[in-house]
Amino acid sequence: MPQTAAITRMTGAGAPPRLSSFANWADRHFKWLLVAPAVLLILALSIYPLLFSLVVSFINYDFQVPGHAFVGLKNFERVVFDPVARWSLLLTALLSGISVAIEFVLGLAVALAMVRSFPGRGVVMSILIVPLFISPVIVGQAWTLLLQRPFGPTNYILGALLGQEVTIGWLTESPWLYISLVVADVWQWTPFMFVILLAGLTSIPPNLYEAAELDGVNAWQAFWAITVPHLAPMMLLALTFRLLDAIRMFDTIFIMTGGGPGTSTYTASYYLYTVGFTQFHLSQATAGSWLFLIFTALVVTLLVRRLLKVETA
Amino acid sequence: MNDRERRDFEAGLAGEVDAFMRGESTRRTFITRFGQMTGLLAASGPMLSMMTDWALAQQASELADPSTPLGQAQAAALKASSEGPADGSAFRAIEAAKQYSGVTLNMTSEAGLQALDPRNFSGPMLEKLTGIKTNVVELAWPDLYSKAVAEHIATSGAYDILDVAPMWTPSLADGGVIQPLDDYIAKYMNKADLEDYHPLYKALPTYKGKIWGLFDDGDIFALYYRKDIFEDPKLVEAYKAKFNAKLEPPKTWEEYAQVAQFITDQLAPNVYGAGHFRKAGSPGNQFDFLQQFRANGGQLFDGDMKAALASDAGVKTLQNMIAANNASIPGNNELDAVSLWAAFLTGKVAMIYSWPPSGRMAANYSQSAAAINFIPQSQIAGKVGYAVVPGNPEHATGFNKALSADSANPDAAFLAMQWMTSPPVSLARVMLPYALRDPYRLSHFRSELYAGLFPSAKEYLANLNASANVGLLDPIMPGAQDYFLSIDRMCTAVWAGADPKASLETAAKEFDETTDRLGVDSQKAFYAEFLKLPGATADNTVEKLGLAVTL
Repeated sequence: MPQTAAITRMTGAGAPPRLSSFANWADRHFKWLLVAPAVLLILALSIYPLLFSLVVSFINYDFQVPGHAFVGLKNFERVVFDPVARWSLLLTALLSGISVAIEFVLGLAVALAMVRSFPGRGVVMSILIVPLFISPVIVGQAWTLLLQRPFGPTNYILGALLGQEVTIGWLTESPWLYISLVVADVWQWTPFMFVILLAGLTSIPPNLYEAAELDGVNAWQAFWAITVPHLAPMMLLALTFRLLDAIRMFDTIFIMTGGGPGTSTYTASYYLYTVGFTQFHLSQATAGSWLFLIFTALVVTLLVRRLLKVETA
Repeated sequence: MNDRERRDFEAGLAGEVDAFMRGESTRRTFITRFGQMTGLLAASGPMLSMMTDWALAQQASELADPSTPLGQAQAAALKASSEGPADGSAFRAIEAAKQYSGVTLNMTSEAGLQALDPRNFSGPMLEKLTGIKTNVVELAWPDLYSKAVAEHIATSGAYDILDVAPMWTPSLADGGVIQPLDDYIAKYMNKADLEDYHPLYKALPTYKGKIWGLFDDGDIFALYYRKDIFEDPKLVEAYKAKFNAKLEPPKTWEEYAQVAQFITDQLAPNVYGAGHFRKAGSPGNQFDFLQQFRANGGQLFDGDMKAALASDAGVKTLQNMIAANNASIPGNNELDAVSLWAAFLTGKVAMIYSWPPSGRMAANYSQSAAAINFIPQSQIAGKVGYAVVPGNPEHATGFNKALSADSANPDAAFLAMQWMTSPPVSLARVMLPYALRDPYRLSHFRSELYAGLFPSAKEYLANLNASANVGLLDPIMPGAQDYFLSIDRMCTAVWAGADPKASLETAAKEFDETTDRLGVDSQKAFYAEFLKLPGATADNTVEKLGLAVTL
């Protein structure tokens, strides 16, 4: 019956139409036509701005200084010799390194705890990954509300627990403000580590553990001999992705400390934002972005090479 | 085409025919549908825009109950615009603007509360009176400058009316972003209305002898204090016993810290002597430093345009500010302007100095608008007194309405600006409960309608006027935001324990770098222009120039 129906429809359809030369050409290059919009979009939205920004970093493009004269390396020089820029780069490395390390350890611990099934696991997992879906601005605001004196409850709760008045300036006093920023970041992004590492853990064949158990291997030895080697590519992947994101830390700092006190919580992103959008020195900010991009690329290359090496092995 | 390509082609064709007969998508139907979808997407943008325009057009001007002072002010504005007096700027603007019916004016506004007036009140009313539509473009505060410049560079003509901070006037004027208004004023305005500005504000939009905007927001700092605490007999007696002086609003910054510390010592943790918005990036630091520094005799630059911050006046200012911080509510250095308002309104703080909305919020007037309900209800209504900030208060930013040089409808845009800032219309605007525009005309300060907004409104207005008489202007020159940023960094570093003298030197170095970047000679010329304005220094306030206004 289906064959009859097909024949009937074929008769009704008549002979295939003759294709024009354009249609012929279009048909032969159909795959290129399909990808053309995406390629053009990428060129327009990525390559052009990138090239334009490169040009801007060598000219005067400043909303306070008229004209667009060629200034050579002056914009780069301003960034390199700006102590605030150097500090912001160092702080970026420190904050992102510490945050990601803590997130990794916590994420791995939670993933190991959650890898086996138990009643309510689904609910617990859902709750655990909620912070991942919250905008960093909201996270910053929430932590500000918790920590900011005199309205935030943190000091009050700590005071009640310790039995004495607590007057910590969580957002203005060193080292507490750095701890606050790390805590906010860890709270939001530990679930990211957890999700990736859990996926890695579940892909390790259980028979390896069974065999190890039969051989009398204890849990600690199994962790180092089986879990870590098998999980290593996922670990590196999670660390790479998270580190790339962490070095762009901006939102929580913008909300929680405003970069202060002084310039003590300026990260590279915050520095570039301030130079570009508070002071309107756009070409200096662009030059700084390129320098920052180079630093980031070095880190990424290192990590990706390492990742590929692990995967090949 | 070789054999393999031919086979591939025919196989593809056969597959296409088979798919066609099965009723599945072919390349042709795919392309057709893709084209349809793209067309639909292209059409949906304008359609959505039209629908939004229609929805906005349905929004009538938001008018208050006619029996209230605000309702009466709005009715008066409407009457002055439609019936006259015929020589009034409001009436003349409306009459001349009717020929531009159907034109849409794009006007920038700081995002949030500032945009509510043109969206809900003045914009719809202008359309009703003239047929001119307004499109309010909400921008973050720094973008009011950067977007204006960017659109000018792109010659997009995106904006007609610009809300700008007065400090940006020289840059925008010299950069050709805004155009002078002198000819428009001569053509359309009743010049007597220019005399209605408080002298501190009148000259603000003037640069190199021309007028570059119409001033529109009297952002003068004032001191708001708890009368019930300052009049408490026990406290008055204790203060007298300790300092042999009357407990009253402080006149100097030393007294301010002393009074704040006394109240904190007496009433904490229920009430603290003072509170300030000192958070980094919150503009309280720069404004407070500038007002105290200049009141202490400090000069921002010396004759060679070198920063003069690292002086005795600078050290004294920071020491006074530290003393005030120590006498303040815990977490003082973490507060922004809104948090400080919350602390004051909930009765935790006895004194604050801030922008004029503080007084309207303290009286619970602002909170009558749903838009401003994020501010807590005032628990101190009826207990608040007003005083001039010790020394000289800062006129902290303010706004000019400026005419974009790229406007396609400059006459219509100017007329809209003239109408909005005219005495009767601006009065109705500054009386809006959600308004962040504050009184700036003499007719505002003298308005019986405004005085009827809340029980102590008359004293509130008198204090704003008295504050403007001795007020100081923010530096109006290119690089102002860089200088401000340096002050903010310096202050917050000092609050965190940095040495005041060393911090002043760091800020001075940053000042010099900014000056060098912008050109020493040109900055010197800008600064010289600024110093001509009343209120540029503590030695040439409106009062010291003999121009003080008495109501």
